[in-house]
Amino acid sequence: MSDKDRLIEHEYDGIQEYDNPMPRWWVIAFWATIVFSVAYALNLGGIGTGPGRIAEYETDMAAWRAAYPQETPVLSAEALLAVAAEPTSVAAGQAVYEVNCVACHAADGGGGIGPNLTDAFWIHGGAITDLYVVITEGVLAKGMPPWGRTLAAEDVAAVTSYVWSLYGTTPAAPKDPEGDPVER
Amino acid sequence: MADSASTGTVQDGTGVIMEEFSYDDAIVRKFLFATVIWGTVGMLVGLLIALQMADPRFNLGLSFTSFGRLRPLHTNAVIFAFAGNAFFCGAYYSTQRLLKARMFSDALSKFHFWGWQAIIVAAAVTLPLGLTQAKEYAELEWPIDLAIAVVWVAFAINFIGTMIRRRERHLYVAIWFYIASIVTVAVLHIFNNLSVPAGAFKSYSLYAGVQDAFMQWWYGHNAVAFFLTTPFLGLMYYFMPKAAGGPVFSYRLSILHFWSLVFLYIWAGPHHLHYTALPEWASTVGMLFSVMLWAPSWGGMINGLLTLRGAWQKVVDDPILKFFVVGITAYGMSTFEGPMLSIKSVNALAHYTDWIIAHVHTGALGWNGFMTFGMIYWLLPRIFQTKLFSKKLAELHFWIGTFGIILYVVAIYSAGVTQGLMWRAFDATGRLTYPDFVETVTRLIPMYWTRVAGGSLFIVGMLLFSYNILRTWQSRPARYDVPVVKAPRLTPVHREDGPKAAPIAGLLPAAVHRSWERKPILFTVLTALTVIVASLFEIIPTFLIKSNVPTIASVTPYTPLELYGRDIYIREGCVNCHSQMIRPLRYETERYGEYSKPGESVYEHPFLWGSRRIGPDLAREGGKYPNLWHVRHFANPQEIAANSIMPSYPQFATTPIPWAVIPKRVDAMAMLGVPYGEAINNAEAMARTQAAAIAADIEASGGPAGLEDREIVAIIAYMQRLGRDISAPTAVALVGDGEQP
Repeated sequence: MSDKDRLIEHEYDGIQEYDNPMPRWWVIAFWATIVFSVAYALNLGGIGTGPGRIAEYETDMAAWRAAYPQETPVLSAEALLAVAAEPTSVAAGQAVYEVNCVACHAADGGGGIGPNLTDAFWIHGGAITDLYVVITEGVLAKGMPPWGRTLAAEDVAAVTSYVWSLYGTTPAAPKDPEGDPVER
Repeated sequence: MADSASTGTVQDGTGVIMEEFSYDDAIVRKFLFATVIWGTVGMLVGLLIALQMADPRFNLGLSFTSFGRLRPLHTNAVIFAFAGNAFFCGAYYSTQRLLKARMFSDALSKFHFWGWQAIIVAAAVTLPLGLTQAKEYAELEWPIDLAIAVVWVAFAINFIGTMIRRRERHLYVAIWFYIASIVTVAVLHIFNNLSVPAGAFKSYSLYAGVQDAFMQWWYGHNAVAFFLTTPFLGLMYYFMPKAAGGPVFSYRLSILHFWSLVFLYIWAGPHHLHYTALPEWASTVGMLFSVMLWAPSWGGMINGLLTLRGAWQKVVDDPILKFFVVGITAYGMSTFEGPMLSIKSVNALAHYTDWIIAHVHTGALGWNGFMTFGMIYWLLPRIFQTKLFSKKLAELHFWIGTFGIILYVVAIYSAGVTQGLMWRAFDATGRLTYPDFVETVTRLIPMYWTRVAGGSLFIVGMLLFSYNILRTWQSRPARYDVPVVKAPRLTPVHREDGPKAAPIAGLLPAAVHRSWERKPILFTVLTALTVIVASLFEIIPTFLIKSNVPTIASVTPYTPLELYGRDIYIREGCVNCHSQMIRPLRYETERYGEYSKPGESVYEHPFLWGSRRIGPDLAREGGKYPNLWHVRHFANPQEIAANSIMPSYPQFATTPIPWAVIPKRVDAMAMLGVPYGEAINNAEAMARTQAAAIAADIEASGGPAGLEDREIVAIIAYMQRLGRDISAPTAVALVGDGEQP
């Protein structure tokens, strides 16, 4: 900055300007962003878009699927009934139920948007394995979400056991029966 | 015109003809009052919507005070009413003095003022009524858009006329920035708002889907650039050296940062659409030009702050300089943050979160707010020809305002980063840690209350400011003195007065730029060419390359009833809280389903991808919940999700569908090229059939009866359609499927 603070002769309404050079660091920063942008656009040296966002997404998904095979295990009726016999898992299932299920099935299982879970009538089968499958996979056509996607496997089993335990209880405002009666 | 009427001429001793004239400060006073009044209104609406996010009861249970309708009112009021009037106030004051000329036409000045205020009133009435185009910062419907264009052209004529009649040979850098603002805003406004009317206050964007998104963010980003940045840089170049009493740091820097800013800014818009269905090349271009924009932006900050070199001690006891220093520093921070946010990996975290809200408030409260406050405190004694009522109050305003900004942005940066991280968190079993969206909202509530506190402090500052202005105005003289200014008329032949400046960046000889500064029309044309050419480089490929939007055969237009449901979604401003754009990122597709494809948006006039997720994404909402769920959820969202902050819409179940408008809406869509076929002649009957089917399903599942002619079935029809076209049509069997044209 040899010619520091040399005033230019003109003035505008009293405002004057110096003919100072641009700060060196500023010029370097400007050039650096330009060089970065060119390198990025040409994918030089590993910076840049690379294979593109879709390819990157698919790679990420494949690696994740390999690391976490998400299938909720298929459980037999005996296994599920064994879980349902454990008071601790029923209690755990109640906690899951209160967070995720009450909006449609009511706190006491009496139903509302979704069907009553306390009576003997079932739309998609009344065996404990049927309950487990419906909770895991959902019923898209009816708006029942597939909880296997978001809940851990043991939570699905636990909430199944809690719903199983609601049978025969008396809700405050039971929804009319839907589906077919199933003997338990 | 008024100028010539009040102009006299005298010859001085050397034979130079001196002209006598006066400046129009009455118009400056008008714009000053408008700035303060609308600023206060806009900020109070901001406070109300901030309260609504902390507690949904502040939606007040009225359709016209719900968040979705008031959020655009807040943004439009602070951008176009507060910052707009502030720009006009400062520009009318400084332009006349920098050009040594009264405004070209007092009548045009008045038309500009009253026209602009009428537009603001129209916005304040229509936005709460739900009349909106659903494009951010371009919500106003077509009749108001036409009025904006007319008023803006009047302003442009007035400004250019003043330049032509100037008595100052060269244009100062502030004027360059005003030119860039006036020209570019006109171009942006006209091309983003092209639409087909479907009624007096209803229209559909000319563009659809990917192209509409592109145009919107070309506009949206450059509204920030040419309405909130370049006008205020112009103001800074006048008022900062005036208040500091020192020369501007570097003329050469002014030239380089002006042209690079104007040229680079216009490309940057697509960084708002990273990971969306916009082609990746376009968002990459947007990112790179944003990165390159960092230095040109900081050129303005350097020139502003370094004007204070050797005068820093003045800042200690001058509230005006304090406002300018914090304002310019806020500009520096947000223009560093902007390029950073444009980097894809950073953007993936920040997009859709409050981080962006914090970013814009650093700019709006800090840069636009504080520059305006400093400028007006400087103007008050000059245009009211009296002393400022209280310098102490101004100091207090500064400290309260600064503290308010810090509280606001720290809270909202935290909220943004918190929510962004919660959305992408996976647990040890490979599942989303927070699958329930509401959980990621509940966590933010304390930060929302902190924001309310910070924003309130800023508004307290605004009230102190208003009081100070009022008291200063009360002590004005009975009649304003109108000083006579003398300046020589410009001679047609110019003898170069010797620009000694060194070449710019070693390339452009200063003398060449100096010659442009003598030619206002040439300067205006060069500026216009810079922004238009740069725009076309992006716009033409976006519209012409077919592979940008691969066709999806199963994507068909909305049914007439769904289209009306979509209009309800637009009217209620749902797009302000819900995106409809799932990004190809694992944590998005796990939460919301298959990522959104460009071909899914081909009939989306306008696009409704959204920019913020205060609620969850709705791109694949169709079929997720039963119809009855939606009935209950719209009536009272908190009944379904206790901690939801969504406003309730019980009126959907009671408001009748105005069947007669549906054919008009379908016709307008058909005019835009949406293949409606048979539906054009049959729209109402089709809509009624589909409505009856949905109403029957609701009743059969235990819901209320008699909804077949109520708006609730239209919005449910739309909800249930969202995102289902790409999957096989048999996947979901909801009512109304047979109705698609």
